[in-house]
Amino acid sequence: MANEKITQIVANALEKIKASSIADELVELKNTFLGKKSELSSMTSLIGTLPNEEKKSFGAAIHEAKEKISVEIEKKLAIFREKELNEKLAKESIDISLPGKDAHVGARNPFHVIIDEITDIFLGMGFEVAKGPEIESDLYNFELLNLPKDHPARDMQDTFYIDANTLLRTHTSPVQARTMEAKKGEPVRIICPGKTYRRDDDDATHSHQFAQVEGLVIDKDINIGHLKATLELFAKKMFGEKREIRLRSSFFPFTEPSVEVDITCANCGGKGCNICKGTGYIEILGGGMVHPNVLKMNGYDPDKYSGFAFGIGIERVAMLRYGIDDIRKFYTNDVRFIHQFGKKN
Amino acid sequence: MLVSLKNVNQYVSLEGLTAEEIANKLTFAGIEVEEVYTLAQGTNLIIGEVVECVAHPDSDHLHVLKVNLGEKYGVEQIVCGAPNARAGIKVIVAMPGAKLPGGEIKRGVIRGQESNGMCCSLLELGIESKYLTEYQTSGIEELPADAPVGCEDVFGFLGLDDTVLNLKVLANRPDLLSLFNVAKEIAALFEREVKIPSVNKYNDFKTNLKVGSATEKCTQFSSREVKEIVTKPSPRWMSSYLMAMGVRSINNIVDIGNYVMLMTGQPLHMYDADKLAKAELIARDDYSGDLVALDEKAYKIIPGDIVITSDGVPQCLGGIMGSLSCAVDENTKNIYIESASFDGASIRHTSNRLGLGSESSSRFVKGTNHFQSEYVLDYTTDLLKDLCEAKECSDIVTYLNEEKPVKIIKSSLARINGRLGTEFTMEQVKNVLSRVYFDVDVASDNTFTAKVPDHRLDVTCDADLSEEVIRILGFDNVKSILPNLDMKVGALTLEQQRIKNIRDYLLGAGVDECLTYSLVSKKEMDAFNLLNNEEHYSIINPLTDDKEVFRTHILHSLLKSASYNIAHQNKDLMLFETSNMISKSSASEHLAIVLVGNEYVQGHMSPVAFDFYSMKGLVEGIFQTLGIENSRYKFERPTTNLDKLHPGKSANIIFQNQVVGTFGELHPNMYGAYDLGKTSCVVLEMNLESLLTAKVSVTKMAQFSKFPSITRDLALVVDKAVEVKDLIKTIKVEGKGVVVDAYVFDVYEGVHIVAGKKSVAISIVYQKSDSTLKDAEVNEVENKIKFALNKAYKAEIRM
Repeated sequence: MANEKITQIVANALEKIKASSIADELVELKNTFLGKKSELSSMTSLIGTLPNEEKKSFGAAIHEAKEKISVEIEKKLAIFREKELNEKLAKESIDISLPGKDAHVGARNPFHVIIDEITDIFLGMGFEVAKGPEIESDLYNFELLNLPKDHPARDMQDTFYIDANTLLRTHTSPVQARTMEAKKGEPVRIICPGKTYRRDDDDATHSHQFAQVEGLVIDKDINIGHLKATLELFAKKMFGEKREIRLRSSFFPFTEPSVEVDITCANCGGKGCNICKGTGYIEILGGGMVHPNVLKMNGYDPDKYSGFAFGIGIERVAMLRYGIDDIRKFYTNDVRFIHQFGKKN
Repeated sequence: MLVSLKNVNQYVSLEGLTAEEIANKLTFAGIEVEEVYTLAQGTNLIIGEVVECVAHPDSDHLHVLKVNLGEKYGVEQIVCGAPNARAGIKVIVAMPGAKLPGGEIKRGVIRGQESNGMCCSLLELGIESKYLTEYQTSGIEELPADAPVGCEDVFGFLGLDDTVLNLKVLANRPDLLSLFNVAKEIAALFEREVKIPSVNKYNDFKTNLKVGSATEKCTQFSSREVKEIVTKPSPRWMSSYLMAMGVRSINNIVDIGNYVMLMTGQPLHMYDADKLAKAELIARDDYSGDLVALDEKAYKIIPGDIVITSDGVPQCLGGIMGSLSCAVDENTKNIYIESASFDGASIRHTSNRLGLGSESSSRFVKGTNHFQSEYVLDYTTDLLKDLCEAKECSDIVTYLNEEKPVKIIKSSLARINGRLGTEFTMEQVKNVLSRVYFDVDVASDNTFTAKVPDHRLDVTCDADLSEEVIRILGFDNVKSILPNLDMKVGALTLEQQRIKNIRDYLLGAGVDECLTYSLVSKKEMDAFNLLNNEEHYSIINPLTDDKEVFRTHILHSLLKSASYNIAHQNKDLMLFETSNMISKSSASEHLAIVLVGNEYVQGHMSPVAFDFYSMKGLVEGIFQTLGIENSRYKFERPTTNLDKLHPGKSANIIFQNQVVGTFGELHPNMYGAYDLGKTSCVVLEMNLESLLTAKVSVTKMAQFSKFPSITRDLALVVDKAVEVKDLIKTIKVEGKGVVVDAYVFDVYEGVHIVAGKKSVAISIVYQKSDSTLKDAEVNEVENKIKFALNKAYKAEIRM
């Protein structure tokens, strides 16, 4: 009898819950069916009147009924709350196309991009980075590099002088002599990126200030093949795996044999075009085997040690890689230029 | 060096070779060919004879010509504007369809008169005006009377059927400033035979001329006397060859001097024998006085300059230019020819000092072959006989104070291959060296000796021999193998890594990395020098006065970059540069930063003007990046640069008791100097040296408290001059052991605050490491703090 009543109450409650349309109604239903004055609550007082063996099951039935109603109310409430929240969130929707906060990242001048990248390539091959002064003595810039005073090849490099024996270095090669002096006959594996100066009028392809990366390896049994392989690796990393290099005989006073290194033209892939003047190749750097006189003058026995050296023009590499048409752009720092080179490679 | 291939072909057959093939081979052998071009250009040309010339009826300067083009083409009518057009002359006619450097020739009607071609000047066929006379450039070319009418090989007839290679001769190969040596090189490269012309010997009489040298700078001086020459124009073959090699024909005697130099590499000088007081030519370097040279200018000779004197009077600035007084002219009959060797360094000094250079001096500077004068003089004499009707040619008189060096280099196959990374055989090496005129003697163990040919001044050691081998056989033979070296850590040094870390930090913070010139003007040097007053270096030979000083600071240059950007409507800039600065007393790595305009919190939606604190944040970020705690550096108000930076919005950075940097908002008076308008600008210059070498301890993890913290805020009113940093310091001192953090979250002046005062709100975090804090404990510490703040700063605590 009493159990039937409970079942009826539950059925009634569930129906009303189902019919409810707002959260407030559910709060009221909660009160009505589960509150202290609810029918179920008042039925609890009947437990005392029941025989002992029925007490437990009747109490359990009331509890179960309350639980069932409660769960249903909460379920329905959750649905209402979620709906409410969703409506609120929908109203809060923003324009996600607006810019993010503080998302500005600085860009490097391509000059620095190239230096950083070349440095990384050679660090990976176990090179150290050496430095030398930009204001140099004649001794390191010329004499120890097999360019004695009055050597005609000095005219290849028109020089800014501080006084008769002090000058702005015309190449990064003096770092070769300085490094050999510091290493005192030990093997050498260095690169040296740095600024250099020549007395040239500035125009689209000439600059009184420019930069090179010098490379120097001295060890036993070093040969031209090692230079070729090292530069091949460099060229592929810098310009892409498809690039090939070729060596041409040339002259530098501090290397013998000396080579100019050409790389297949990125524009035409070696077929020949306007950029490479139809040759399929573009000159990118010079190098060679360290001249025995240079080894000797700097404390290495040319019969025991040999080495290779190379010099890469930073701006030239950047101009070729990025299609930069005027070397002066590096030094003007127009942010419309710099911002094009923001990405990390 | 301009090389006439037609001329080369006389000494080595170029049959079957294109100019491009030759150029390519030379380039790979280290003799870069910069240009290949034909001496003259034009198609469909023919020699014609003007048979009738009448004035054009409708023009005051045009002529209507009837030109006989020979049997095949007959007579054509051509309208011509040249002033020298007239009946009877023979001319070069470009027929319809002819392609000339200026365009294609078409049949046409000029002011009603039919015109079927064009009469040409040599200019129109690509010959530069510097090779032509004024008469030649002002009208059409007049061919000699014997020119064959109807001949279609016009360039052949004129000797202009030539192709020119422009060689970039590098400093090691001055021997290639001789066409004979270029021919030898080409012969070696293509394994062909070379025939340098043989010469006649002369000894018609014994000359009275005495030659000598009183200076070590002239070790060899040879001469010959030649009598009764006739000066006249050179034959066409001579002027054409000279033109191909870049020299204008003057007359037979001058041309022979130039031609012999171009062919042999040996500069000559010719003296008018009758203008010398005494039959004597002596090289000296102790003369001082003036010399009027062939260019009719007076040059001041000082001891050290090489001069050739006769009876004590200078007759020639040795190796550079002759004097006017004994110059050969059209009346010259008898001459002395000089073929000598001068010290290149000395010539270089004199030539640079006087600003006087010549083809001759540049050859001496680069180096000449000292042991070919006899051949050169004989070769010259052959030409004089041929072209100048020279009557009598004397013996050769020579001064020689130099032994002919015999250069023999020892080497071995192993050394050659070892240097090149190749696997050539002894046979190959011997063959190559022989091709380039070395005498090679191979021993049974594959060691060998090589005797260097006279003209190869550059070859001195076996590294040079390896170069000869590889430049001829080609670098394709070099195997590309990475060196097998000991393992080594490839890493930046600490200083290099820290510079990189600072750069990376700034880039991450949105600052763009710039690059500016090291050379600035004196004025710029002083313009915005915040930090480095050490004496700077100056250039003694600057190109322009805006680049005469090696800068000791970056900031001015970076401000100029900012200025450039603002002028180009690039607003809102964050720029930095790191660079090595050198002064007379130090070298140091500097950093400069310039912030202009607004920083963007969300694009352009919430711009906030850059201010002092924008820059301070970057400075703090740099120290943090390097792991230098904020207790190790501080900011102080600067006492200098008050005219450059806002005195109330600038600071010095103090690290290790030294000012390592200065930054702040630009002084209002400075904006005009950089055309920055009214936009905000904050700048920094910093010497990074001490930061790069500063010791930074290895991080050791510190335990943090397991017990909860309590945060309470404190609002104070203090004098405006009180610095928040001091308030926080007091709080931390008073709360030692309990206060774990204290930070400002608001500073306010204005309504409700008495003028001259400010309100500061500080959050204080209390926490103990060994137990949970009780309110009472916090109260006690807080009261202590309030008391101390009141006592030290008259701080009024707001509730």
